[in-house]
Amino acid sequence: MADTAPPADAISPLISLTSALVEANDQILALYDLATISTDSLKESESVDRILAQGRKLLRADELRLVAEDAERSSPQSSIGGTTAVVRVEHQSGDHATLIAKRQAEPFGTADKKLLNAVAHMALSAVHTARLHSEALTQAVMARDHAMASELAQRSLPKWRPSLEGTAVYARTDPARTAGGDLYSFAETDDWLDFVVGDVSGKGLPAAMMMSNVIMAFNNAFQRHRDDGPAAMLRTIDHWLYESLSDAALFVTIVVGRYERSTGKLAIANAGHSPVVFVQQGKARPLPASCPPVGVLEGIEPVETQLQVQPGDRLAICSDGFTEQENNAGQMFGDERLESFLVDRSTATDDFGEMLFRQLETYAGTAGQTDDRTLFLLDFTGTA
Amino acid sequence: MKLDTTHNDATNTSTVSLEGRFDAHELDPFRDKIDLLTESGVFNINVDLGGVEFLDSTALAELVRGMKRCRENGGDLVLTSLSDPVRVILELTKLDAAFTIA
Repeated sequence: MADTAPPADAISPLISLTSALVEANDQILALYDLATISTDSLKESESVDRILAQGRKLLRADELRLVAEDAERSSPQSSIGGTTAVVRVEHQSGDHATLIAKRQAEPFGTADKKLLNAVAHMALSAVHTARLHSEALTQAVMARDHAMASELAQRSLPKWRPSLEGTAVYARTDPARTAGGDLYSFAETDDWLDFVVGDVSGKGLPAAMMMSNVIMAFNNAFQRHRDDGPAAMLRTIDHWLYESLSDAALFVTIVVGRYERSTGKLAIANAGHSPVVFVQQGKARPLPASCPPVGVLEGIEPVETQLQVQPGDRLAICSDGFTEQENNAGQMFGDERLESFLVDRSTATDDFGEMLFRQLETYAGTAGQTDDRTLFLLDFTGTA
Repeated sequence: MKLDTTHNDATNTSTVSLEGRFDAHELDPFRDKIDLLTESGVFNINVDLGGVEFLDSTALAELVRGMKRCRENGGDLVLTSLSDPVRVILELTKLDAAFTIA
């Protein structure tokens, strides 16, 4: 039997069917692509563009556009019908968006409504997810910067300890957060041991940044004004730091001291710091401040306290976070308890300092640390 | 911490009375109140600390901030009715020399 070509009227439906199958296949592929886009790229513009591209194929639309809006802003109501469809959707976060679709070939009908809604929801969801990701990323960067800045500030505390003959020094600060405003630093010559102990008001990074400025100011004051003594060095620190402290609504309590080995003299200049305790012959006595903290009044006039030290004496300077540490009953560690420990000179300086921190931890129990804690000890051991 | 405010129109002076523990955790209401008063042109403020038994360095810094703002504008922040513990803290830090205490 000879091949005969099918009649033309039989081919037309086949072409139409094939065409419909190809189009349906394209739509299935577009639907698959749409379903697998999710927000894997996590870039707002990219994921939204991909969703809209697949949505355009599925809807056979000429144009598909998403307008994200603030929750507050008024926007057009949804309308489907004619060659333009407007679908307004809301995310559970409160964000809104409007999807605008245009199709010349065929007016939008109710059959398109679900698909328009689905594409709009997916696109808005992608916008929201990308924003969350962006915010999380920003927060992570900020947290990393914060941690790095805190670490840098804490690194301004000296790791070395003075080795002036006839003295033993212990210094430790435990910040309440990753960084704190408590500080200590030292400088020495063959005959002098100079030191600073201080407490910047407030906690955390702002206090820590100011703390590192105070240490820098002390080091500079030692370089430029050491011959003038602790009170002059403290005045210099005040002169350099008053304005920045005042602008930041902070102040810093500071003790600057000098021990001169050849004469056995200890000079202390105290701007608002407490407790500062001098132990001599088993008796503890506080050394009061002679002027307000640095940053409160411009141009402080500290007065030095002069002491003649002997082997066996001790100078102890704490921050208020040490003595104001509360126990489970809400009672503070207190100056008296501190002094009762300080009079014991039977233990080596480093061991004693660590023991005192352990005592504080035991006292605090589960109350937890609420402020930066610092302990500086200068024990006078005499000539070996 | 409890915070109450009264105002004397004749002298344009406000009195902020505090009660309880005044520390870093209780700072915001006090700061907000001082900001509100100074922004509305009140630069004579009495802070009644009669009911405060403890204040920490953060609270002291906040009092200093208020004091400076008042003085910069021709007024003052005056501390009144100090309880013994608060008086001791101000003496130890020598802040009693910086504030006007009535």
